[in-house]
Amino acid sequence: MADLITNEKLASLLAQCGLGNRQAFAELYETTKSKLFVVSLRIVRERHIAEEVLQDCFVNIWNNAARYAAAKSAPMTWMTAIVRNRSLDIVRRPLVEVADEDDFFALNMEDLSPGPQDQLAGRRDQARIERCMKGLDGEQLQTISLAFFHGLTHSEVAQHLGRPLGTVKTHIRRGLQKLKGCLES
Amino acid sequence: MKLASPDLRNRLAAEYVLGTMHGAARRRFQVYLQRIADLQTDVAFWEAHLTPLANRLPVLAPPARVWSRIEARLFAFNAPAKADTASGIWQNLSFWRALGLGAAALAAVLMVAIVDIKPSETEPMLTAVLAEDNNDARVYIEQPKSNVLMVKMVKPWRLNSGFAHELWVIPKEGTPRSLGVINDATDTRISLAGLDAKLTNGAMLAVSLEPPGGSPTGAPTGKVVCKGSIAWMPPKSAKPRAQI
Repeated sequence: MADLITNEKLASLLAQCGLGNRQAFAELYETTKSKLFVVSLRIVRERHIAEEVLQDCFVNIWNNAARYAAAKSAPMTWMTAIVRNRSLDIVRRPLVEVADEDDFFALNMEDLSPGPQDQLAGRRDQARIERCMKGLDGEQLQTISLAFFHGLTHSEVAQHLGRPLGTVKTHIRRGLQKLKGCLES
Repeated sequence: MKLASPDLRNRLAAEYVLGTMHGAARRRFQVYLQRIADLQTDVAFWEAHLTPLANRLPVLAPPARVWSRIEARLFAFNAPAKADTASGIWQNLSFWRALGLGAAALAAVLMVAIVDIKPSETEPMLTAVLAEDNNDARVYIEQPKSNVLMVKMVKPWRLNSGFAHELWVIPKEGTPRSLGVINDATDTRISLAGLDAKLTNGAMLAVSLEPPGGSPTGAPTGKVVCKGSIAWMPPKSAKPRAQI
């Protein structure tokens, strides 16, 4: 099952895709499609656009699989970054309205026990960013989570929270500075 | 955009990966990204560290057509080569079959493109993925028309469990409002007059276990089995986007 697939397995599937193995490509798709689809859906919000993003990205992944080895990141991270980038490239969303509670998931991070799916990402990478996120203050966490999970711009975050744009920019900037310090330590 | 200072460079890389740059700002940044190796290093740092956060999202399987289209786009013209080349490509059935597939795929892409640029509905429409506590998606909900909700099964419930599954909208303030009982194992089309009014200020959708026929009190009485926040898809009135 997808949940039990490890990074080594994904890296091996990617390597085989690089050699033109279509069977491996089908397995890679089956294993990762549900996670990657949601990553895009959150940002682009429209199902048919998220479907297109997923198509484009897998065509891209197939064509660039041979280059994965050079990426030096966990395979799921590499693929997720491709999907996030493509989604952010095409997003057009004039108005913002997102519900509050899951944007603040990070505030309740303590409650989230690691699930079996966590094996998909580099486990250490994930543990580290989550630890560093916990070190942010409430406003920083809130603004950064909104931007990350929903791909909101500064002004969209400001609009959503009913805060001045400058305040939101400051929270995000300081939060990112703090994260950087923590991630590098 | 001055990129002389390493601090500024790193900050912009972080904002790029975080997703706060859209449109022109994002494209401009990408031009710099192509050219400046240090910027690529900064982006790689943030991608490696921030991206694993996405792993916390619930999962939702895309429809099967996505895979068919990927295959059509990549492999339609690479059907296994025929050993007998003497008959030539014009007599080669697999070539024509592949061409047909390719054309179908192209048509599909064009159709999507056309659907894409069609002006959207004038009213906001919602989508939501309702997940269980362990983050597994259970149902996907969208609103194709103002008075219709489509509840699509991601993972069906057991039939005849003795409970009804009732869908609720939970407003930002106030009490949950019932949207009706949904099917246990198949998609449900909810068509309600005044649906939009019921959804006004909706923040979340949730499904609770209720006695057969639905909640006797008009409020949820049983366990909430899955829930998810509502994303509103507003009309596409183009509005200039703030640039960084």
